[in-house]
Amino acid sequence: MTAVREPSKSQTPAPAEAKGRRPLGRPMLYTQYGQDMALLNTGAKKVAVGVLLVVALLMPFLLEDDLLRLLATGCVLAIGAIGLNLVTGYAGQVSLGHAFFIGIGAYTAAVVSGDPEDDRLYGLGITFLPVWLLAGGLAAALVGFVVAPLASRLRGLYLAIVTLGLVFLGTHIWNEWDAVTGGVGVGRPAADPVLFGVDLSRRTESFSADQQLYLLMFVLLCVFALLGRNIARSAMGRSFAAVRDRDIAAEVTGVDVRRVKRRAFVISGFYAGCAGALLFSITGYLDPSSFGLLLSVQFVAMVLIGGVSTISGSIMGAFFIALLPRLTRELPEYLPFLSSSATQTPNVFQVETLLYGLLIVAFLLLEPRGLFGLWIRIRNYWKAWPFSY
Amino acid sequence: MTTTLEPSTQGTGTTTVVTRVRDRACETPTGVAMRSKEKGLWRETSWSQYWDDVLDVAHAYLDLGVQRGDRVAIQSENRREWLVADLAAVAVGAVTVGLYPTNPPAEVVHVLRDSGARVLVAEDQEQLDKALEVSAELPALEHLLYIEPRGIRGRYTDARLTSWADLLDRGRAHRAAHPGAVEQAMAQTQPGDLMTLIYTSGTTGAPKGAMLTVGNVEATIAALTGPAGLLDPPAGPKDLSLSYLPLCHVAERIFTTWNNAATGIQVNFAESIDTVPENLREIQPTFFFAVPRIWEKLLATVQVKQSAASTLKRNAGNLGLALSAKVATAMEANGGKHTAGSRLLHGIAWVLVVRALRDRLGLRRVRWAGCGAAPVSVDVLRFFMGIGVPVHEVYGMTENTASATANRPGRIRLGTVGEPHDSVELRIDEGTGEVLTRGPATFAGYWNRPDATAEAIDADGWLHTGDVGVLEDGRLRITDRMKDIMITAGGKNVAPSEIENAVKVSPLIKECVVIGDRRPYLTALIGIEPDTVGDWAQKQRIAFTTYRDLTERAEVKELVQGIVDGVNAGLNPVEQIKTFRLLPKLLDHEDGELTATQKVRRSALAERYTPLVESMYSKGARS
Repeated sequence: MTAVREPSKSQTPAPAEAKGRRPLGRPMLYTQYGQDMALLNTGAKKVAVGVLLVVALLMPFLLEDDLLRLLATGCVLAIGAIGLNLVTGYAGQVSLGHAFFIGIGAYTAAVVSGDPEDDRLYGLGITFLPVWLLAGGLAAALVGFVVAPLASRLRGLYLAIVTLGLVFLGTHIWNEWDAVTGGVGVGRPAADPVLFGVDLSRRTESFSADQQLYLLMFVLLCVFALLGRNIARSAMGRSFAAVRDRDIAAEVTGVDVRRVKRRAFVISGFYAGCAGALLFSITGYLDPSSFGLLLSVQFVAMVLIGGVSTISGSIMGAFFIALLPRLTRELPEYLPFLSSSATQTPNVFQVETLLYGLLIVAFLLLEPRGLFGLWIRIRNYWKAWPFSY
Repeated sequence: MTTTLEPSTQGTGTTTVVTRVRDRACETPTGVAMRSKEKGLWRETSWSQYWDDVLDVAHAYLDLGVQRGDRVAIQSENRREWLVADLAAVAVGAVTVGLYPTNPPAEVVHVLRDSGARVLVAEDQEQLDKALEVSAELPALEHLLYIEPRGIRGRYTDARLTSWADLLDRGRAHRAAHPGAVEQAMAQTQPGDLMTLIYTSGTTGAPKGAMLTVGNVEATIAALTGPAGLLDPPAGPKDLSLSYLPLCHVAERIFTTWNNAATGIQVNFAESIDTVPENLREIQPTFFFAVPRIWEKLLATVQVKQSAASTLKRNAGNLGLALSAKVATAMEANGGKHTAGSRLLHGIAWVLVVRALRDRLGLRRVRWAGCGAAPVSVDVLRFFMGIGVPVHEVYGMTENTASATANRPGRIRLGTVGEPHDSVELRIDEGTGEVLTRGPATFAGYWNRPDATAEAIDADGWLHTGDVGVLEDGRLRITDRMKDIMITAGGKNVAPSEIENAVKVSPLIKECVVIGDRRPYLTALIGIEPDTVGDWAQKQRIAFTTYRDLTERAEVKELVQGIVDGVNAGLNPVEQIKTFRLLPKLLDHEDGELTATQKVRRSALAERYTPLVESMYSKGARS
């Protein structure tokens, strides 16, 4: 058939609609594969994304600064969660070592931007944001490249244990390498978010620091999310999924499994590094104890609660985890036996930690597709209207 | 190549579907003529590509030695090559003969021998094998062309074989050597020239080839797409239709090939008859013609899925459909147009379920819906009118090129087949009640059957349709096929199709054949719909294995009895079905029980199930 069509195609003009146009109002009629794979492949998605963007950009003018700071943190966590989702969700390589990559990014950025005059700590004094952001990302990506061979030799549980080892390795380094980290209990200043001579972490004439940081992080999240989505829907994303579903089958169909795993770790490392670099520039200060197992578990929770192998799920999960402490802080008002002080038991911080575990268990049992899965359920309910299937 | 796109200077001759396609290729070369789904994508064919292929194939026919008046047979599912092969034949003055892809070899040999076809275009190995099996009996058959090479190329060595790709190459070579040869042939075409042979489905006896001329086809095109035609404004290049019924049937040839050439409507080929629901959803046609079976199936889908929906959805659905039923009543009284009140109710129902429902069915954008080719129950049409898709019943037959009467938008009367077209004279025979038509679309006769032709067309040119009908306010109501009218032993005339259709409204019933000619009372053979009844049985926790097992369950018999009782309640005592038997198997074309158009062959059925029928008339059978 196709062989027959080719010659005359070159001689006669193709239909105008072959250039990707199609009859109006027929979302299921595809004349090109591109229409199916498009970023925003339905009208509803276009509208929804547009509305979300507008709402997100209005946030700084509607919310209090402390909430904005929380949302800015959520944006950064989302970048890290997308990174973990790419390697664990899409490529199926379970990584518990995400905190290690976050740490590398954070310290690299801090060193690049750090004060060179300070005798106690290393510092290069380059405070321009893109430079230290890329440096943090690339350093973590490089470590990802080095670690990746582990994944080509190990699978599943064994890989999870080995990456867990990275976290402990990291904790030891951060605790001991005082010239970089400042040492336990002392810490060091984080990278300064300076863009074109403006320090965004300081109040300017028209915006507060939190408004600026929120907008910065939101824009960066958009960039990283778009990048992640494009990775996921391109040939690379499909090869990730092939390796996840069955690496032997993937190899047989011509996917270079080692290279795919390496890419997954490098990309994931880059995302984690960037997230690490940004995360502490919000608070302006970082301590070696921040990069423990809990941080890794939090990222795993974001991915599982948000939705495995979805970009929007990662973002939902990250915001959920970022806003969870805020919600638990409200608990003592309703549950008087809970204390809001860390020295008493039971207190809200314990509840918070418990909730991470409980939520992971609950989501895995009840809705393995996470928040994204819940959304899909709601959507399908209305899509099937007035039938049930 | 561009020269062929210019209107031919000799093109002042007779207008045919081929000249119409040529003119479209000149005016809108990049416009979409058709789409066919390949590997998940609807690939488009532009008018210029279409015309280019028609020219190539027409030249190839000339190269093969096809002469004016020769028959070219096509046996294929609906696809663009069908249209190309058909139009190329018409271009060189040859006569197209369509075969149903479901035709078994026995019927293939009859049609090919009877028509004396010189060329056969077979879709694939399956169709080619049928022809090769019987080709020893077909001395006239010189060329076998195949479209899909899979399984054929490199394995079959018959000298008569040519692949579609080779055919196009051959056509191009001939076109380069003899430019304008096809245009010359086209210019010689006269309105009286034979264009196609359409074989009747043959519910009784062997299929006969009805001869349709260029003039017949043009008359039908004028009647259906003209200013007083099916819809106003007429179909145009912005409209979409779905092609899925067999193209060798006159109805689908009108709605796909001729309508496409005449109005520029974009034709979309369904992948197969089984994927029609999915394809409908994708294409959302604006112009949709279906046979009663499809409308019944769509309605059954709604009913079955509706009853299986969750409580909230079911209640919302029931409310919406109850409103729709009111809308239907109001619209029915108003000729199929909205009244102010019905518009309001429809608006509420639209929000509740109708919008989603029509989207699911693929009827969201329908601007004209038609039904024909077999009798349909009013209840089915009423449902669709209620959801804002007034279905226009049309009437016609191969012998009058399917143009006799049609319901017009805004003047619909359910249960009738509408008003005669402007060009058609119609009257009812005083003696027999038979419907007679006369007009430019009346066919030229049966191929090689002057005896049958003389029976069909009388001396005054009236076509005897074989249908019994009455006129009501200028609208025709068809009672039944003349030969199906039964006279019971009590001397009463009974039209079985009305009773049968009333039973078939239920989604649980697939076939119903009423028996009672020269019998003391009426009985019926009923075939259940395996999907819906199987579903029902599962819900009732009735275990069953096969179709036959299902029909033998007492619960299923009770279920069908309930449906029959419901229908009987609305009938005169003489018209009531006193008892029935369930058919132990699904009726099938291969077994000769159905025609290619899924019509029941009553005689074959009566013969095959004689014991079953007789058991209903034995003592004590009447319950």
